[in-house]
Parts: sequence; structure tokens; C-alpha cells
Amino acid sequence: MRVRFWKRVKPDRPSPSTLVPPEGVPLTLPIAGVGVRFAAQLTDIVLTAIAAICVLILLGLLDLTSPQTLVAIGALLFFLIRVPYYVMSELAWNGQTIGKRLMKIKVVSHDGGPLTARALVLRNLMKEAEIFLPGTLLLTLDSATPLASLAAFAWVTMALMIPLFNRYRRRLGDMMAGTHVIHLPVPVLLKDLASETVPIGTTRKKFVFLSHQLDHYGAFELQTLESLLRGQNTPSGAEAARQRNATLEAIVEKIRKKIGYAAPVPPVDRLPFLQAFYNAQREHLEQRQLFGDKRENKHYAQSGEER
Amino acid sequence: MDTQDLMRSARFRKEREADWQRLETLVRKAEGRGLQHMEFAETRDLASLYRQATTSLAIAREISLDKALLGYLEALTARAYLCVYAPQERLGGLLERFLKEGAPRAMRRSWFYILLGFLCMGLGALTGYLLYFENNDWFYVMMPAELAGGRGPDATTESLRSVIYGDDQASGLGAFATYLFSHNTRIAIFVFGLGVFACAPAILLTFYNGLSLGAFLALHVDRGLGLDLAGWLSIHGVTEISAICIACGGGLQLGTAVLFPGNRSRSVALREAGRDAVKLAIVAAIMLVAAALLEGFGRQLVQDLEARLIIGWGIGALWLSWFLLGGRSRR
Repeated sequence: MRVRFWKRVKPDRPSPSTLVPPEGVPLTLPIAGVGVRFAAQLTDIVLTAIAAICVLILLGLLDLTSPQTLVAIGALLFFLIRVPYYVMSELAWNGQTIGKRLMKIKVVSHDGGPLTARALVLRNLMKEAEIFLPGTLLLTLDSATPLASLAAFAWVTMALMIPLFNRYRRRLGDMMAGTHVIHLPVPVLLKDLASETVPIGTTRKKFVFLSHQLDHYGAFELQTLESLLRGQNTPSGAEAARQRNATLEAIVEKIRKKIGYAAPVPPVDRLPFLQAFYNAQREHLEQRQLFGDKRENKHYAQSGEER
Repeated sequence: MDTQDLMRSARFRKEREADWQRLETLVRKAEGRGLQHMEFAETRDLASLYRQATTSLAIAREISLDKALLGYLEALTARAYLCVYAPQERLGGLLERFLKEGAPRAMRRSWFYILLGFLCMGLGALTGYLLYFENNDWFYVMMPAELAGGRGPDATTESLRSVIYGDDQASGLGAFATYLFSHNTRIAIFVFGLGVFACAPAILLTFYNGLSLGAFLALHVDRGLGLDLAGWLSIHGVTEISAICIACGGGLQLGTAVLFPGNRSRSVALREAGRDAVKLAIVAAIMLVAAALLEGFGRQLVQDLEARLIIGWGIGALWLSWFLLGGRSRR
């Protein structure tokens, strides 16, 4: 038995990314990490800062400011543009600012319902108290007041650490508002490989695989082969094409050896061979799965014995 | 290829593909334009196609090993779920509802916390006032130097009077900005945000703010300028100091949710307390902006003591009537 220094994770807890809708089919809404949220935040800060600087220059041209009050007015403008920007954009785009749209992330309600105006206002007001005000305090203070700087620094660090310590990567404002941030999944429907036909170059009509030849691989290997076959259609240069051919040859030889496929495969038929093998293997595995024999990967036989 | 030749999962996909693609276009439409701007037939189809897609996903997870198909269905149903169950809220009337009902009701509901906020400030002011008369040097301890602006026990009575009735200070926009971003706004935001940490920072900061206020008041009373200072402070102070106390009330509400969650978990308690606390914070923000306007423009324009007192307390009474009378349902 292994020694664990970390608290054992409760096995019955569902992954934070799954959400069970009233239909009862678990859906996947992947939680956005700290990095991507930071990137979105940075984009928004740059945008609002640019807006504030533009207004400041305009005020300067109209002779409404003096050098003494420039910093105070700049800070005020930044604040006055920033706070409504976050609240309004998240209200208008249902939980997305421009930065979040660029990073394809979105705020969702923790219980899966609609986002209320209250929640969005609260999470953005708390952002001020959590990050921006201590941050400006940190920037404006100097070494003359080490205690206040230190306190502001500790506060910002702590506020930034909170998301790392919970499963939903929620900051303090998210907890209060009952929201968290997800990656917005992008649906792309690729062609079904099984319904595609690749013409066989030589005179042979068809590759035929026997049932015992299909017992060597599991779903993982099948899906790896799927990714490989999907990658074959992209155009490439001469050098890359040569390398690709070498890879194909190695794979075909490996599969032939493993499943005991005696007949040699000529170079023009390598792709059709893999395609045919993919079809046959998929049909076989899907059939086994229907009968309750789910094969995760090629080690399915060993893992079955252990249980 | 003939459909009869296809394997089961490929046939499954071929039969439903058109529906999924229609759902995809509907989802894009709903995300782009909002559910309210879609036709009836489209929204009806969106809901029913979404339910079909969840069924397809459940089946595909069992019968298909096509990674591309599974990924597509996962993403599509998740997007469609958000369209169906988490649509855009209607924004019309949001501000009106907040001003007419939400804010005054929240204020009345959390009267106890606001009272606590005022109590913190009042006790602080009393302490500061009494301590000043015990020993003048307390003034330097309690008053931040940049806020005092040269006013202190050493200053002459004349100079104190000139600050109260002088108009040599910067006026207009620059003054407005400096005042708004000055001490008190920062205090208000910190008092609210830090309240989460078991109330202590909110109470301490408000108390400290009260201390400096009390010492400041005591200094002027000592020189016989008590009433003049009251006028000088009242014109914006009634609004501003109330705003700090209300922000403190909001912070205390969050803090007590952390300290005494009752039978709920702490995050649930925090979420429920946040409902009213955020309204208190917005009210405090509105009041601070009003106070900064009064301080930046009004204080220099109105030099008369009585007028200052009337404006300051009159506006205070307006706030109070909003909180007490707003959002009551007619019987």
C-alpha cells in the first residue's frame, strides 16, 4: 500500500466539470483554469486603461485638468470606466467581457440556472475590493509606509491564491455571487471516418480481418488511430510527406505483426489498409461494448483479471 | 456507400446528423441575438432539439467509439444547455426596480447591521472626542497627517477659521476627483470588502475613522469653532459618513455570515448574505458620489453657516426618507 500525504479524494464526488441537467444526462462544462482567466483579465485591463487614457488626453486638450490633479483624475476615470465596463458587458453578453470572449470562457451560475444581475454586480464589485484597490494601494505606496504595503501585498496574494484551493477555481467574489467560470466548448462536426471510402490501389478487392485478429486492441488505440487517419488529409511539403510515409510504414508493420496478418501490404495500400482496419476494429469493439465487454485499451484482459 | 453496409454507430449518426446541425445553427442564433429576438417556432425547436441531442449523447456514449462524434455532441449539448436553461436575463427596468424597490427594502431588512455600523462610528467619535480633552497629543496619533492638512493643536484659531470659510482650495473637476478618491472612498470600499474576514477589519476601520472624526471635532470645539465646523462638515459629511456606516453594515453582514453560518455551509451563507450586502454597497457608492459632488462644488459656493447646515441635513433627510418610504407595497 502506498503512503499518502494528501487527503484521499472522496471517490463518490462527481468531477467539477460535470453538470446534470433535468434531462438526467451528465453534460461536460470544463472549468476554466487560472491562467486563461488571468489572460482574459489582462485584456480587459488593457482595454479599459486605453479608454481611460483617451478620455484623459481629451480632458487635457480641453484644458480641464492641471498637472497637480492629473493622477487623481486618471485614477478616477480608470475606476469610473472599469466598474461599469465589467458589469455592463457581463450583463449584455450573458457572462462574457471582451477579454472572456477572446479567450472563449464564460461566467455561469453555480447551480446551472440563469445569471442574475445581482450575481454579476456582486462578483465584479468584489473584484474591486479583492484585486484592484489593494493593487492600486500597492502601486501608490512607497517604502515610507512598509506596513501598509505589506498588508496590501499579503491581501492581493491571498485573494489570488483562493482560486487555487477550490475545485471550481472560484475567487471570493464568485463564491459570494454563486458563479464559476467555464470554457465555452466549440462544437466541430468532423466527417465520420467509417463512412469514407479509400480506393484500393492494387487489384485486391478488400482487406478482411478475422475476429481473433481484432482482439488485440482497445478503445484508446482505436481513437489514436482515428486521430492519425484524420491528420492524413492535411497537405504537406515533400520532406514531411516522406516522414509521414515512414510513420505509416512503421505503424502498418507493427499492426500486422501484432495481429498476425500474413499477407504483405504494398506501399500504395497502406492507407486503405489502416482505414479498413479502423472500420473493422471499431465495429468489433462497439459490438463487444454492446454486449457489456467494454475494452478501455489493449490491457483490458489483465485489468479484468485483477478485478 | 450504401447505408446497409455501414456499422451501427455510423448509421446512428447519419440518421440524426441533420437535426444536430439545425440545433447548432439555432444555438448560434440564440447566443448572438438572444432568445427574445427569435421566432416562436425557432425557440420551440431549440428546446426539443436540445432534448433529442441529450438523448443522442447518452446513446452515443454507450454505442459509439468515434471520438470526433462524442466530442461534437458533448460540446453541442453543453452549449445548447446554456441557451435553454441559462438564457440572458431581461435588462429592462433593472435600474428602476433597484432604485424603487430593491435598495430601500434591502436597507430596511439589514437595519440591524447598519445600526451596528453607525454605532462603531459613533463610539469611535466619542472616544476620540474624550481622549482629545484628556491630552491634546492624541490628535497626532489619531489623525493622519495628510488629512489634517496642517490643522492641529498647534494651529492658530484664525488659521482654522480660514480653512472653514476660505475659498482658496482647488475647486471644480480636479477637486471633485481628489475628494472622491480621497480617504473616505477608500475606507468605504475596504470596510465593505474586508468585512468578509470575520467582521474585525470592518469594525476596526470604522472605529478608527470615528476616532479621527471625534478628535477633529474636539479640536474645533476647544477653540470655540464647534458650530462652524459642524456646518463645514455637514454639507457633505452627513451623506459621506452615512455612506461609510452603510458600507460597514454591508461588510458586517458578510462577516457574520462567515462567523455564524447556522445550519448552512459557509459559502451558501455568504451567497445569501451577499444578496443584500451588494445592494448596500451600491447605495453607499451612490451616496459617496453625491457627497463628492457636494464637497467639490457645494462647499465653496455656499459660505453661509446656516445654509450649509440646512443643505447637509436636508439631503440627509432625503436619503432617510428614500430608505424608509421607498418600495412599500400599497395595501
